[in-house]
Amino acid sequence: MGKIHIDVEHLTRVEGHGNIVLNANSGKVENVQWQVPEAPRFFESFVRGRPWNELAHITSRICGICSIGHTLTSLKATEAAMGIETSEQTQLLRRLAIHGENTQSHILHVGYLIAPDLFRVGSVLPLIGTHPDAVLKVVKLHRLANEFSDLLCGRTTHPVSMAPGGFTWIPSEKDLRNMKMRWAEAVEVTNDVAEIVLANAGGLPSFSRETEYISLTSDDEYALYDGMIGSTDTGKHPVEGYLKITNEFVVPQSTAKYCKHARDSYMVGALARFNLNSRHLSPLAKHWAGKFHLKPINYNPFMNSVAQLVEFVHSVEDSIAIIDKLLAKGIDRRERPKVKPKAGRGVGAVDVPRGILFHDYTYDEKGICRKANCIIPTNQNHNNIQKDFEAFAPTLLDKPGKEIELNLEMLVRAYDPCISCSTHYLKVKLVH
Amino acid sequence: MMPAKTMGVKIKMTIDGKEYECEPNQTVLDVAGANGIPIPTLCFNPLFASHRSGSCRMCLVEVVAGGRPGLQPSCTLPVSSGLSVSTVSKQVYRARRLAVEFLVSEHTQKCRDCPASGGCTLAKFCRDYDINGVPVCSECPNQRESCLLKRGVLCMGPITYANCNAYCTRKGYRCEGCHSTLVNEDVLRFGLAAYRDAGFRAEDILEGAEVFAHDKVSILEAVMKREGML
Repeated sequence: MGKIHIDVEHLTRVEGHGNIVLNANSGKVENVQWQVPEAPRFFESFVRGRPWNELAHITSRICGICSIGHTLTSLKATEAAMGIETSEQTQLLRRLAIHGENTQSHILHVGYLIAPDLFRVGSVLPLIGTHPDAVLKVVKLHRLANEFSDLLCGRTTHPVSMAPGGFTWIPSEKDLRNMKMRWAEAVEVTNDVAEIVLANAGGLPSFSRETEYISLTSDDEYALYDGMIGSTDTGKHPVEGYLKITNEFVVPQSTAKYCKHARDSYMVGALARFNLNSRHLSPLAKHWAGKFHLKPINYNPFMNSVAQLVEFVHSVEDSIAIIDKLLAKGIDRRERPKVKPKAGRGVGAVDVPRGILFHDYTYDEKGICRKANCIIPTNQNHNNIQKDFEAFAPTLLDKPGKEIELNLEMLVRAYDPCISCSTHYLKVKLVH
Repeated sequence: MMPAKTMGVKIKMTIDGKEYECEPNQTVLDVAGANGIPIPTLCFNPLFASHRSGSCRMCLVEVVAGGRPGLQPSCTLPVSSGLSVSTVSKQVYRARRLAVEFLVSEHTQKCRDCPASGGCTLAKFCRDYDINGVPVCSECPNQRESCLLKRGVLCMGPITYANCNAYCTRKGYRCEGCHSTLVNEDVLRFGLAAYRDAGFRAEDILEGAEVFAHDKVSILEAVMKREGML
């Protein structure tokens, strides 16, 4: 066996820029690296000095995919800092909004970015020719998810109607009833898409490495919007102590920080949520998890995409249930947030499509932000991707170069990384 | 109107390079409407279809062949065999844009008092032809008591130029002024009066105007000085 050198710069079908480097000699891996060359974003620096009601709108721009998640986390942090209470209606609408984003993001990832790997083609475009029905179904679901987010947040991305304490605009009962009907009709399409993925799930490599899984967890629901930090290794922790969980550190090959908790690395995302909270899934989601033989605790990172599909089904069913609850209560469209800014520090955590997201703000008595820290899911996954590489690469060496490359690429893609979002707050030391 | 004896005979004319069959007594606007080709109109009302003054100049099209070449109002231009017109040429765009500019310059633009706000046709034309003329209030449906200024929110709508169909204020969020300020002094003065009535101070307005480009802030400051606000 000769020398193998693989250098993927930059990886496609992920958000942002990441490189894969593998050097192997006579059957031994000399060096395998997951590199992040993205430039730092400085979001935490430029929210400093901005007033409390602008923060959610600024931090939403960290990501174009998880914008609703960032907004919700930001609002929760601001509300925690100022002791703002939210009504039950607001909380239900926010839960719907996170479902909207979950459906939007998961169908995008599974349908457009992972499916080409399963069919061994370069992108989703050739699939339009070979599997037009399946692609159209995915597009239909994606569109519905976009419209759902639009209805709840005032825009498909970067919400306008969400504010600390509540909503500045609330959808009408008629619109919600209409949306519920459309989701109910979409259940069948969802089943079809799941069936297609199931038929081609053989393309997912079987690889497993024991690791720690961290997500929000709650006793009475599948935690996305609210809960405590849960770990498969160490149980529950309060959200305020998030720094003890993330333990960020810097490595030379990455402009994004790495994280670790009880073990060398940990994973966040749909699979982590499934491993911790699967008992709270909706009936149809449980059915599909069973069909894919997905059981907690599953240590195969490739199953993250399957967990996303299961979560998609859950989000559809749970959205219908939440809309029913809202309609039964009756919607008060005139409810508006009332906020008096005050000094304080608050932490918000929401489980967004790619995993658990933290925002931590400190405000002065005028409600001006003085300090901020945002820890993004992909940031927490980088270390786990690296550790997976170290375990996965040696098992691939007898394969041809192209196949090794594809497998490593698929591993990164399974994490659904949002790389550009993950580079945050890099301390720059100037040496003269 | 064409004489009755020619009725029933179909003739062919061309719009934007595509041939259409039509009745001899139709106008170009009728043919375009029947075939889903958009031509903006203002003075033409389909409820009074027989009345066509051709005065607003919004429906101008360019005759390319088969008639007197140049711009003509499509609502009064009768079809003729072999007539070919363009609805999308640069000439047409420029002429229509000029027509909107003239209309806007004549308009009072007290949008905050106008019942048409939220669905104003002139504001739509300003949007379509990218004209810095009317404030966001012309597109905003939150009128009178529901106006954000009345609720104590510093909305930049009254002094920001409209082009977005009031995306944010429609959903209850304040206008941040991302399109920058208006350049028409009369409209600016009206917007500034709105702030004064709602009890905002000059400092508040200038703080909100942080997002505007520097030269635009100078215009705003100059008007504020002339109004005695600074």
